[in-house]
Amino acid sequence: MADLTTSWLGLELSSPFVVSASPLTRDPAAIATAVEAGAGAVVMYSLFEEQLLHEQLAAHRFLDARLDADAEARSFLPDVDVFSLDATPYVQQLERLRAKVDVPIVASLNGTTPGGWTSYARKLEAAGASALELNLYEVATSPLESGATVEDRQLAVVAAVVAEVDIPVTVKLSPFYASVPAFVRRLEHAGARGVTVFNRFYQPDVDLEHLDVDRRLVASTPAELPLRLHALAVLAPTSTISLGCTGGVHTGLDAAKAILCGAHVVAVASALLMHGPRHVGVLKDELAAWLVSKGYRSSAEARAVMDLRSAPDPHAWERLNYARMLDGWRDRPIG
Amino acid sequence: MAEPAAWKTLDANEAVASVAYRLSEVIAIYPITPASAMGEHADAWSADGKPNLWGDVPDVTEMQSEGGAVGAVHGALMTGALTTTFTASQGLLLMLPDLFKIAGELTPFCLHVAARALATHALSIFGDHSDVMAARATGMAMLCSGSVQEAQDLAAIAHATTLTARLPFLHFFDGFRTSHEVAKVAPLADDTLRALIDPAAIAAHRARALDPDRPVIRGTAQNPDVFFQSREAGEPFYAALPGALDGTMARFAELTGRRYRLFDYVGHPEAERVIVIMGSGGECVHEAVEHLVARGEKVGVVKVRLFRPLSVAHLLAALPATATSVAVLDRTKEPGASGDPLLQEITTALVDAVGSGARATLPRLIGGRFGLASKEFTPAMVLAVFAELAAAQPRRRFTLGINDDVSHSSLPYDRALDLEPDDVTRALFYGLGADGTVSANKATIKIIGEETSRFAQGYFEYDSRKSGSTTISHLRFGPRPIRSSYLVRRAQFVAIHDPEALERRDVLGAAMPGATVLLNTAVAPERVWDGLPRDVQARLIEQRCRLFVIDGNGVATRAGLGGRINTVMQVCFFKLADVMPMEAALASVRRSLEQTYGRRGPEVVKRNLAALDAALAELHEVEVPATVTATRVKLPTVPVSAPALVQRVTRLLLEGRGDELPVSAFPPDGTWPTGTSKYEKRAIARSIPIWQPDLCIQCNFCVMICPHAAIQAKVFAPEALAGAPEGFRAEPVSFERGMNHLRYAVQVAPEDCTGCGLCVEVCPAKDRLKPQRKALVDEPLAPHRARERDAFAFFEQIPSAPLDGLKLDKRSAVLRPPLFEFSGACAGCGETPYVRLLTQLFGDHLVIANATGCSSIYGGNLPTTPYTTDVHGRGPAWANSLFEDNAEFGLGMRLGIDARAAQAKALLAAVAGRLPPALVDALGVPGDGEAWYAAQRQRVAALIAHLADDASPEARALVAVAPALVPRSVWIVGGDGWAYDIGYGGLDHVLASHRKVNVLVLDTEVYSNTGGQASKATPLGAAAKFATAGKASRKKDLGLLAMSYGHVYVASIALQSKSAQTVDVLLEAERHPGPSLVIAHSPCIAHGYDLVKSPTQQKRAVDSGMWPLYRYDPARVARGEAPLVLDSGAPKLDVAAYMQHEARFRMVELRSPERYAELLDLARAGVRQRHAFYDQLSRIHLPAEEKTHG
Repeated sequence: MADLTTSWLGLELSSPFVVSASPLTRDPAAIATAVEAGAGAVVMYSLFEEQLLHEQLAAHRFLDARLDADAEARSFLPDVDVFSLDATPYVQQLERLRAKVDVPIVASLNGTTPGGWTSYARKLEAAGASALELNLYEVATSPLESGATVEDRQLAVVAAVVAEVDIPVTVKLSPFYASVPAFVRRLEHAGARGVTVFNRFYQPDVDLEHLDVDRRLVASTPAELPLRLHALAVLAPTSTISLGCTGGVHTGLDAAKAILCGAHVVAVASALLMHGPRHVGVLKDELAAWLVSKGYRSSAEARAVMDLRSAPDPHAWERLNYARMLDGWRDRPIG
Repeated sequence: MAEPAAWKTLDANEAVASVAYRLSEVIAIYPITPASAMGEHADAWSADGKPNLWGDVPDVTEMQSEGGAVGAVHGALMTGALTTTFTASQGLLLMLPDLFKIAGELTPFCLHVAARALATHALSIFGDHSDVMAARATGMAMLCSGSVQEAQDLAAIAHATTLTARLPFLHFFDGFRTSHEVAKVAPLADDTLRALIDPAAIAAHRARALDPDRPVIRGTAQNPDVFFQSREAGEPFYAALPGALDGTMARFAELTGRRYRLFDYVGHPEAERVIVIMGSGGECVHEAVEHLVARGEKVGVVKVRLFRPLSVAHLLAALPATATSVAVLDRTKEPGASGDPLLQEITTALVDAVGSGARATLPRLIGGRFGLASKEFTPAMVLAVFAELAAAQPRRRFTLGINDDVSHSSLPYDRALDLEPDDVTRALFYGLGADGTVSANKATIKIIGEETSRFAQGYFEYDSRKSGSTTISHLRFGPRPIRSSYLVRRAQFVAIHDPEALERRDVLGAAMPGATVLLNTAVAPERVWDGLPRDVQARLIEQRCRLFVIDGNGVATRAGLGGRINTVMQVCFFKLADVMPMEAALASVRRSLEQTYGRRGPEVVKRNLAALDAALAELHEVEVPATVTATRVKLPTVPVSAPALVQRVTRLLLEGRGDELPVSAFPPDGTWPTGTSKYEKRAIARSIPIWQPDLCIQCNFCVMICPHAAIQAKVFAPEALAGAPEGFRAEPVSFERGMNHLRYAVQVAPEDCTGCGLCVEVCPAKDRLKPQRKALVDEPLAPHRARERDAFAFFEQIPSAPLDGLKLDKRSAVLRPPLFEFSGACAGCGETPYVRLLTQLFGDHLVIANATGCSSIYGGNLPTTPYTTDVHGRGPAWANSLFEDNAEFGLGMRLGIDARAAQAKALLAAVAGRLPPALVDALGVPGDGEAWYAAQRQRVAALIAHLADDASPEARALVAVAPALVPRSVWIVGGDGWAYDIGYGGLDHVLASHRKVNVLVLDTEVYSNTGGQASKATPLGAAAKFATAGKASRKKDLGLLAMSYGHVYVASIALQSKSAQTVDVLLEAERHPGPSLVIAHSPCIAHGYDLVKSPTQQKRAVDSGMWPLYRYDPARVARGEAPLVLDSGAPKLDVAAYMQHEARFRMVELRSPERYAELLDLARAGVRQRHAFYDQLSRIHLPAEEKTHG
């Protein structure tokens, strides 16, 4: 069997498969199954500061505003300290996962305020997170704020968090940067130990019947993988930090592609949601079998052999797909 | 009072519960106002694992009624457990049979009662002694507390004494006045309690327990030969109890420095005039006596603590021998008695004492009645009693605090008299229910009471509205313990948190000369003065008030707190009232905010702290000029067009002046006219829906969902538009081809709307070019108020076009006038749309039996009531009997109505020969629907006309009962607390009866009215009071139980998401010849989410299978069809997707994700099993009955 161990963010993992942020990470038993099946690490679902603020204020509104307003009812819900809001439930879940499995648990954070990013980062570190993933999830809607300003703000956040914690910090990126490699280089300088590509953005649809925005979340498909492969291939030759791939890995062969393009780890969520946590074993076996079939002794050996620097036709990563395809069509003999 | 290690500020409910909890092992509870909080505290402590005195966590169990609670108590006592419970009012009545047993069996037990009025001509949640006095024959020892401190202390003394003396105690204190008064109290430490309780007595109690290792038999039945003697055998225990109690009181004094006696005397040692009184009123008398004695008057007060067994010896020891005249004051009324109960006891005792020679002379004894249902009792009234005692011929019986111009019983008193010393700071706050005023004031009392040497007291008035309600906080701070058990009558500080209060009531009436007035207003400081009404300006000048203003809502909003102005206003109070140094106050408020809101999260704390910091900068003083400049006067409280009763009575109730009304103003039997809510224009909405006719598709969803009938639709002839005001809009009817010649209008009642937003939420019509704009647009009230008010007035008087041609469905049903309008229910209430719809379908022949609960409060709580009449003066006739008996009450209505109809039919048969045969035949043919009812009424009118000249007795009798030939629709309406729990036995019996009654269960899955306690309708996984950790058992399937009879029409409905099925069900239920049970999903604030989302959330409940929609129609069996129709199909949404949107489920998850996951799985399994079962029921065919019952 091929050696699947990998080093990611300075952490030694038994396999490159990372259970990715998903509802699965809310279930310690499922995580234990995934780890048993061969997951090398776990990235928890993101702690969204905005959601915490929203929930606190909702509790304030629905519980406190109903206090002492009626002669017959002091309140309308149990008036005990059950709303352990803020990061407590997340921290508790982190602790539960740590107690359940012995692979690194990476906490994921999406902040809203500068103070929020750092204070939550400290809490997650204190709770025993092996590393911190900063989920730089941001929907740009203002025409008055340039991409450069957005990037500067994000870099400041990363630098502030890195200065605040001792554990490694990795950054989960969206694909929407004019230059991903340049931004990653700046992240490296800011102290990030890794990047993961790409955040699966919330992709709203339009409800034609009700003239409304449809906000359903859909599972990833393998069709999303090529965008990630491309980014990895471009980043691998020039970056010195850990690379993660997330989104679109549904099989061991998908994982092989990501590793070939430079990924240190591949995160999986949708595949496990569809097939259960034990499916990590299947992915792992498929990857191992493929490595063996191609003569690789380890996944590390296969890493980045298809990146922008090493691929047989590096230009293939640089050209726009449609140009390449049109060329192919033209060159094809007819008949 | 000895200085304790630490003072606490709390109310009597919490103080008493704390003692009872620590001294008990088993606690069986049931919620009832004003005692609910005691059970809630006990439940919360138990859920948190707080131990009792012996290190065990008491087992707190909610029962299905007070009868159930006391039954469980009785059983627990039998097995040797230290047991307690809490109740009030009707709850105590339900406990009576067991209390006789418990006392008869000489069982140590302590029951704590927040004494409350019993329902007689009306229900009242407020305090008096009519409930406990109804229990005085039970054999319970009856111990009364007059203040929060006493309630705590006597609770401990009662628990200790019952163990040694073996007689059970009924410990009571005044509902609201004491149970809800927040006061500075020296708490009782565990060690004190431990020192008070005799372990040997506990061991003896246990030794008497039922135990198969040493079996005995109890509760035997006895024959005439022995019952009497064995009943007397317990007498020595009654004889010994006073001594035992006094002994405990003495020991308590050694431990705490607080000496209580069975009768406590305060006053001149040689008093000639003495008042004897029980409860909080005693504190008020105490205050007045000190005032009079200081002026050299020989007066005194005997505060009765042990009412039963009444110890003559102890009474004589307390009552000065010099007393020549004694007034005994009762806080209860026993109509027809020679005297109210305390007077009777005292009279008998003194007559006995004189007879036995224990007392030389019998003082002149007079009796007065005061304080029924928390009616104010003030020192001025006490002075009037002492004056009466000094009269040559005092009245033998009198009432206090009212103007009895019917029986002329009332003593006059000086309403302006105020004895309160200047060193007591008194403050009044007028707030809105939801603005946090009361919570802030409680926090203020805590700060001053616990962090300074001052004594503090807070009492809070609430109106009975559930939306836009007014609260009045009465706060006192002073250097001595505060005995003033009455409202603040004159205040140095008046805060008007709700600026609307300025327009509605005389908020400055209590302002003392030089008072500080704080007004929350969005008006800029420099423009405030000019905007005040004339009488407000005059009062400010006259009293030389200092006026301060702050834009509390603005500050709170900018701090991200919405309308929560509590922190802002609290800081302003500390700044202006000068009750403690400002810096210390600010530090305390900050600490208090961190403590209170820390459990909600740091952001909530942060925003409140930001509001605190911003508040002081925005507080401005407004100079009060020397003269009145305003010309504006307040608008009349009720329209000048309102009927005389509304002008004479209702207006004063609305102005907060109900106390001024004399006895003659009221109907003696509690009967009131309906249709008065329309005269109360509260204008509480911040924004209202504005109709956009160009977009409207005339679906009427908005009208169907409106909880307050504040948006209505009508179809009418175009001619009716003549004279329409400018703002009134109408469109040609487009929803029905044959009615295009008619006009259609949707109209909001701007001053009755609560601004809940449901109509806008459900409106499906969008502007295709600007989808944000719907056919209803939310707009601020102020700019639209006048225009829409005129438009609504015009809308109301337009006659509706005949709707006979339209099929009765979800669209057409709500085109009928609602005969339930503008109730005081919560904004977004999920119950009221069902009630309104019921009146639209059957309103002109509807009789409602209404269980006590939310629906009886918004349906029948004065000052105004929402049931109303149609243009013919017909409408729902409504009555509330009790909580527990509603099904039986409704069945009785059916029986009575049927008896009258049978009488009419028999008389009709008797005179048939003298009438046109066609008329007689037609009168006897049953039917339904609007047209049939109209025709039947015409036939009855014709019948009466035919009999006009017939003088025969049977003809005259028939004329009198002929209206009964028009059938009445009887609906039994109530909540799940009634139907699933306390009233279930009766409901079950009524459903079994085959009589034609309809039952509508407004199922909020929780006791809503008393504040969210779990019922058997609470779904698995939900947190509720008494199920704090999340309910672990399934919701009772009430429908299935009813289906088991076979003859009951049973349905489950959800109007907010499936109104078509709702309308069909209500019509089918009414057509069904036997009993029907309709269970209605009712979104409620106790579910913990924004009710504007209730249509979506209810759909999730239905789609997840948590609330299946179905109809079980016995008629289908007769037709050879499966009896059950599933209207909601198979569950298609995960239960979690439903649960995650409501705080009641979320708080279970946040408290313990493991438990939540476990409960979620159980809930999923429950849904699957229930659906599988129902699915099979919907596909099986039952053999039809050969003979059907009718």
